[in-house]
Amino acid sequence: MPAIEVDNLCKSFVTKHKPAGFLASLRALARPKTFTIEAVRNLTFEMEAGELLGFIGPNGAGKSTTIKILTGILFPSSGQAKVLGFVPWAERRQLAYHIGTVFGQRPQLWYHLPAMDTFALFGKIYEMDDRTTRQRISFLAEAFEINDLLETPVRKLSLGQRMRCEVAASLLHKPKLLLLDEPTLGLDVVAKQHIRDTIRRMNQLEGVGVLLTSHDAGDLEALCKRVIVINHGQIVYQDKVSALKRSFLTSKLVEVRYAEQIPVDFHIPGTETIKVAKERYGVKLRFDTRSTGVETVMAQLSAAGTLVDITVSDPPLEEVIRLIYTQGAGKDSEPSTT
Amino acid sequence: MTMRNLSKYWAMLKMQLVNSLAYPSELVWRSLAIVIFLWIFAQLWRVTFATAGTTTIGGLSLHDTLWYLMLAETIELSRPRLSHSIAETVRDGSIAYLLNKPYDFLLYQMSTNLGESLFRMTLNTLFGGATVWLLVGPPPEARGWALTAIAVLGAWSINFCIGALIGLTAFLVEDVTPFEWIYQKMIFILGGMLIPLDFYPHWLQTISRALPFSYAMYGPARLFVTPDLTRFAGLLAGQVFWILILAGALVLVYQRGARRLAINGG
Repeated sequence: MPAIEVDNLCKSFVTKHKPAGFLASLRALARPKTFTIEAVRNLTFEMEAGELLGFIGPNGAGKSTTIKILTGILFPSSGQAKVLGFVPWAERRQLAYHIGTVFGQRPQLWYHLPAMDTFALFGKIYEMDDRTTRQRISFLAEAFEINDLLETPVRKLSLGQRMRCEVAASLLHKPKLLLLDEPTLGLDVVAKQHIRDTIRRMNQLEGVGVLLTSHDAGDLEALCKRVIVINHGQIVYQDKVSALKRSFLTSKLVEVRYAEQIPVDFHIPGTETIKVAKERYGVKLRFDTRSTGVETVMAQLSAAGTLVDITVSDPPLEEVIRLIYTQGAGKDSEPSTT
Repeated sequence: MTMRNLSKYWAMLKMQLVNSLAYPSELVWRSLAIVIFLWIFAQLWRVTFATAGTTTIGGLSLHDTLWYLMLAETIELSRPRLSHSIAETVRDGSIAYLLNKPYDFLLYQMSTNLGESLFRMTLNTLFGGATVWLLVGPPPEARGWALTAIAVLGAWSINFCIGALIGLTAFLVEDVTPFEWIYQKMIFILGGMLIPLDFYPHWLQTISRALPFSYAMYGPARLFVTPDLTRFAGLLAGQVFWILILAGALVLVYQRGARRLAINGG
C-alpha cells in the first residue's frame, strides 16, 4: 500500500480584495470584491512507504497547503487523498498517531519551557508509557545531538538548535511518515546539513517515509530520491532527483575574486562570463557541467591570477523551474495536468 | 474516556501550570493588580455608604460588598484571554500544530485554560482576600466556601465556552477584539462585576439575571457573601442550563469552523 495516494486534489480559498488607500477601502467596505485563489489544482501523485520525496516549488506554489491537507487540518475543495490508509480530514486523530509534522517557521515546542517538558507532554499525548518515552527521548537526543539542549528553555535556543529539537519532537512517537514543511528555512549551511543528515539516518534506521517541502534545491539533492516540482498549484515535473540533476541542475555558478585587476574581456574557455565587477577584481561566470568539468574550470581560474575568494553554487530553484518550463518538461515524467 | 485519554488532558493541565510559573516577576505584578483594584473599590464604596448614610444598600453591607467584589475580581482577573490566544494561533499559523495531534482540540483548550485559571485564581484569592480582610474584616462564614468553589467552577465553564466561541470566530473573521470587548463589557455591567446586581433598578436586574453573564460572575460572588442552599441550587440550575446551551453551540461552531479554516502563511 502506498503511504500517500492523492487523486485530483483541489483547494481554493476565497479572499477579499483589499485596495490600497482610504477612499478605495471605503468603497471596498460597501461593495467587497472577492476573488478565488486556487492554491492546489488537480494534484495527483503517489508516495511509497519509506520513500524520501521532495516537494519543491517557489513561494506560494501550494506546497504547504498540500501538506496541511495531508495532515488533515485543511479540508480540500474537491478530490481524494489517503495517507497511510486514512482519509486525513475525516480521520485526523487516528492518522495523527502515525505521522509526525514540522512546519518550519512555527514552534510546536512550548516556548518558555525546556524542550524536555514538551517531549514528556507529547509522550502522554501519543499515549506512550513513561518508560518508552524516556528511552525514545534518550535515543533521539543522541541522534540529533541535543542532549545538552533539552534542559534549556526553548526561547533561549538558536534557530538551528531549536529546529533539531523540533524535528526530534516530531519523531517521538515513531511515526511511519514524516511531513516536513520547509524544515531548513532560515538555517545556516552547517545547521542545514546537520538536519538533513539526521533525517536521512532516521529514514534508513526506522524506515520512516519523508515528504519534504522546500524551495532550496540543496535540501533535495542531499535528502530526496524523487522529486515533484510544483508551481501555481500544479505538478510541473516529477522524476528521480538524479534525472532532474542530469537534465536541469547542469550548470554551476562561480564567483571569483582576484588579488589583482583582471582584463575587461576576461574569459575562461567553456564558460560564459556573466559579469565582471566594476573595479575588475571580481568576476561571475556560469558553465555547463556536461561539457566542461569543474576541475578544468578551477585550474584555468587559478592560472588566470592570484585567487582571493571563490564560491561555486547551484542555480536557484526559480531558474530550474524556468528551465523546466522552457525546455518542455514532462516528456519523460508523468503528464502534468496543464 | 479511557484512563490514558484522561491522563493526556491532565498532562496538558499540569504543563500549563508549569508554564505559568516560568515568569515569577509577572506573577507578582499580576497579583498587585487585584490589590490595587480592591483598594480603589474600598475607597469608592466607603464614600458611597457614608454619603447615603446607610449601613446596607440592596441588602448588602460595606463588608459584604467588598467581599463580593473580591470574588468577582478574582473570577475576572483569573480568566485567561482565551479568544485572543486562539485568534493568535490562527493568525500566526501555529494552529496547524494544535490541530494535528491526537487529541480533541476543544478539550485541549479546556485543559490548558483550566490549568491557567486555577493558578491565577489561587494567587488572586490569596492577595485579594488578604487585602479585603485588612480593609473590612474577616471573610463570610466558611461553610459557604465549598459551595462557592463549585459555583466558581461553573462560572469558569461558562466563561470558557464564551471565550472559545469568540476565539473560534477567528476561523472566519480576521479580528476577534471587538467581540471580546463587547463580552468584557457585558461581564462588567450585566454580569455584576463593577456593581452587585442588587444595587440595580428592578428592570435591569431582571434582564441581567436572564443572561448567562450573571451566572459567571454575580451568582458565585453573591453566594460567597450569603451562602444558603436555596440560592446555591438556583444558581447551579442556571449554570448547568447555560453550560449545556453554550457547550452545544461551541461543538457545533467548531465542527463547522474547522471546515472553513484557512491557515495563514505559506
